[in-house]
Amino acid sequence: MLLELNNIFKWVTQGGNRVFLLKHLDLAVEQGDFLSVMGPSGSGKSTLLHVLGMLDDFNEGEYYFQGEPVHGFRDKQRARFQKEHIGFVFQAYHLIDELTVYENIETPLLYQKVSSSERKALVADMLDRFGIVGKKDLFPAQLSGGQQQLVGVARALIGKPRLLLADEPTGNLNSRQSREIMELFQELNAEGTTIIQATHSETNAAYGSRTLHLLDGSWTSTPEP
Amino acid sequence: MIRNYLKIAWRSLMRHKTYTLVKVAGLAVGVACCLLIMLFVRSEWSYDRSHSKSDRLYRAWQDEAFQDQRFVNVITPLILGPTLEADIPEVEHTCRIMSMRPIVSLGANRFTESVLMVDPSFFDLFDFPLLRGNSVEPLAGPGSLVLSESAARKYFGDGQAVGQELEMELGEEPRRFTVSAVVADAPVTSSIQYEMLISYANAGTLIPQQARENWFNVNTETYVLLRDDASLEAASAKFPEMMRRALGEDYPKGGFEIYLQPIADIHLNNTLPAGNEPISDPKYSYILATVGLIILLVACANFVLLSVGHSDSRAREVGVRKVMGAQRAQLVSQFMGEALLVTVLSLLLGLGLALLLLRPFNTLISRDLAYPFDAGFAGFTLLLAVVIAGLAGFYPALVLSRFNPVRVLKGRLLVSGGRGLLRQSLVVGQFAASIALIICALFIGKQIRYFQEKDLGYDREHVVVVPTNMNRQEGTPLAERYRTALLTHSEVAAASVDLYSFAETPWVTLGFTDEQKAYQSFQYNMVGPHFVETMKLHVKEGRAFDPAVTSDLAQGALVNEAFVRHFGISDPVGKKLPGRFPSRIIGVVEDFNYESLHSPVAPLVLTLQPDSMMRYTENVGMAYGPQPRISVRLQGGSLTGQVALLKEVWAAVAPDLDFEHSFLDESVAARYQAEQRTGDIVNIASGLSVFIAVLGLFALVTLSLARRRKEIGIRRVLGAGVGAIVRLISLDYARLILIASAIAFPLAWWFMSDWLRDFAYPIDLAWWVFAIAGLAALSIAWITIGVQSARAALSNPVNSLRTE
Repeated sequence: MLLELNNIFKWVTQGGNRVFLLKHLDLAVEQGDFLSVMGPSGSGKSTLLHVLGMLDDFNEGEYYFQGEPVHGFRDKQRARFQKEHIGFVFQAYHLIDELTVYENIETPLLYQKVSSSERKALVADMLDRFGIVGKKDLFPAQLSGGQQQLVGVARALIGKPRLLLADEPTGNLNSRQSREIMELFQELNAEGTTIIQATHSETNAAYGSRTLHLLDGSWTSTPEP
Repeated sequence: MIRNYLKIAWRSLMRHKTYTLVKVAGLAVGVACCLLIMLFVRSEWSYDRSHSKSDRLYRAWQDEAFQDQRFVNVITPLILGPTLEADIPEVEHTCRIMSMRPIVSLGANRFTESVLMVDPSFFDLFDFPLLRGNSVEPLAGPGSLVLSESAARKYFGDGQAVGQELEMELGEEPRRFTVSAVVADAPVTSSIQYEMLISYANAGTLIPQQARENWFNVNTETYVLLRDDASLEAASAKFPEMMRRALGEDYPKGGFEIYLQPIADIHLNNTLPAGNEPISDPKYSYILATVGLIILLVACANFVLLSVGHSDSRAREVGVRKVMGAQRAQLVSQFMGEALLVTVLSLLLGLGLALLLLRPFNTLISRDLAYPFDAGFAGFTLLLAVVIAGLAGFYPALVLSRFNPVRVLKGRLLVSGGRGLLRQSLVVGQFAASIALIICALFIGKQIRYFQEKDLGYDREHVVVVPTNMNRQEGTPLAERYRTALLTHSEVAAASVDLYSFAETPWVTLGFTDEQKAYQSFQYNMVGPHFVETMKLHVKEGRAFDPAVTSDLAQGALVNEAFVRHFGISDPVGKKLPGRFPSRIIGVVEDFNYESLHSPVAPLVLTLQPDSMMRYTENVGMAYGPQPRISVRLQGGSLTGQVALLKEVWAAVAPDLDFEHSFLDESVAARYQAEQRTGDIVNIASGLSVFIAVLGLFALVTLSLARRRKEIGIRRVLGAGVGAIVRLISLDYARLILIASAIAFPLAWWFMSDWLRDFAYPIDLAWWVFAIAGLAALSIAWITIGVQSARAALSNPVNSLRTE
């Protein structure tokens, strides 16, 4: 078991009423899973991914990651866990505009105290594997959306995370670029990376090993382990 | 890591070139301006501190009771120095410095020079380096003469000055002096200024013995060097006893107190009168220091404003970095480091700019300031860098880094109100400072113009003053011959031969004791019979001097209205002057401002002969050496041609003597040099302050419009016209300018009314000046905002809405 959610609640208070973003949510994800979360806008997909990625709090429930109780962590512990085990891919790529492709991919390593020579080797490997060696000195603005997302994925993977979280990773891409990214995800999954993606698209969801549907913060069907 | 930070900092700066330029240039200009002003203020405060013994050097001053009044003077009796040296064990040495302005001649060349008669201890007490000649005993005997370097050059060019002879008109006849040494010129920041130095050994033959040993005859500044181990208090405590012994039974009558003033205190302490050299009003240092500080603050505010304003665009980066695993401390150090980098760059640029502008600035303020390459200055700059960087970096560093990355990445950051308040108060602060400076600049300018244009009661235009550089007996016949020769030319309207012209005021102060035993004093000048006509004075009662009336010469006197008022004389014409003065008043002239406008018109007596006035006065004060001076009123027109004529006539009358001249209007304007200098600096400072504030506003509006692009787009789609949108944006800022004005007006009013209090003839603080300053700021801001928002409003709304 890589991670487990037990009865997770998350709400915001609006005008004195609780508005539930996540409600009574259970989830179990095994090492090597490729899970697609589907649902309409506002159903809580992003919120779920943020909770899973330890970027956001929840109000009630338990979250175990590799058997460790994330709900009992202090901020610092949580940040360390996140840094070491989780990679993110965003719909809007979120590359740093002032850094080149190479430097963007390198950034997570800077925060993990990896030595300079090791960083060089790791980034070189990643560029090579994604076929973007020739673009390493370009800035994000000089790349197409598909290429930017490729860099985004490379950056998410550089720290060798156990879990890759992707929030609408192809939302800003055309269908050809989407297909490339999805095929890449499939490959990564085959190599052992656990992936959870949120998506609108049935086609993209089909790349995963299983699909869950979210509506108003709850599963529409009970998830099977 | 550091390299990564530096790289991103540099690229981020380069990506927003305009913004970076505005930020860096604003701070650099502010720093440069502040630095130059501070250099000037520092030089004002560094007077007389360069002597190695300056912490032990003092100038004596006295507080003497005479009848009902106290007379405070830094000019002291000649006997004070030797008495101090003999009676007070704490005193190591004294040096008397008596200032004279005799006529010095080398062959046919005659000049009035500033000569100091000093004790030989002069070079032990003060650090004025001897450059050439006898450096051991340069003032050994009465015939020794030490020249300043510039005087040596003036008389002997590049040739050898040491060993040469000069003649000086001291006392009755000319004396010969031999140059024994050449001393460096006194620095500008010295209260002791000289062209030539002669020895006190001359006092014996120059000053009657009675005056040399009398405690009630003041002639000289007395400088005192205390011993290394002596305290000022211990020495001062012995002064009353010393005076009691010196004065004997004269002492208890009223008291005659001696005090010591530290030498570094002389220049800016205007509670004591000026001595040999004029002193400065410390007020001007404070005003300028304040102005410098304001400029610096405006520039810093600008810098912080832009840094904070721009940090929104960095928010996403912060979010991404956090997701990548950056810790808060790492983000804080990144942004702080970045701010420090930009600050240091701007400061360096500012320092360079100041270095570049030092020479023109020196010209503007007629000083010789040097760039301060010292540790204190470096430390100050470093401190400044850290403070500005701290302020500029704190928002992105501390606030942004605290945010939950999810919120940042979703762009939900713009709702924080507190930050808007900070930004708005910075804008308000900048504009308040700018508006206040504009108001002050306008009022100072107005006051200076008033000084220059006020009807002084005489006509200062087209008057050239020609000094004879001779004593009265010798000079008067020459001056009269010159006057007669001039009047044959049609270009000359009138001319008068007087002991002092309007360029040398104050004139002579005379004093007497009236019937009530009260001490009274008034101003006096010996003038020619054509004085009233030449200077275009207005005779109120009686008549002016008439050369045809012989009794005028012996006992006619003109007085001014102030004199009549002060002494309460009714029907003054025909009355005798008060006191024992025998002259009779033949006329009353309307008050005219013969002194500077800092002081009201003092009672004045004019006569054609000084003898009877001098015989019956109890006290004489003179600031300038008496000598016949010819005031020539020209018809107007080309001055150069007419000055050439004056010179030609002079050459015909006095072929051996050099022709000197000055323009009266210029001499009068020079009295307001301190005001003029302050006005110049405040003018430039207010211009810069406005410039910086506008730069800041421009950048801020640009940023805020970028953020409101979507809003503007939606409003446009909903049918808002360009005008409506420009109005919407402008009104926001107009409100800020109004608040700024509300802060600036009372501040400027308070500042200016305090400044004007010292003038006998202040201008009014007209309300419309405030209005002009406020409107100027408003319209400048409005143009800045209007252009920007019109551009935003005119852009196709589809472009701004498509990004979602």
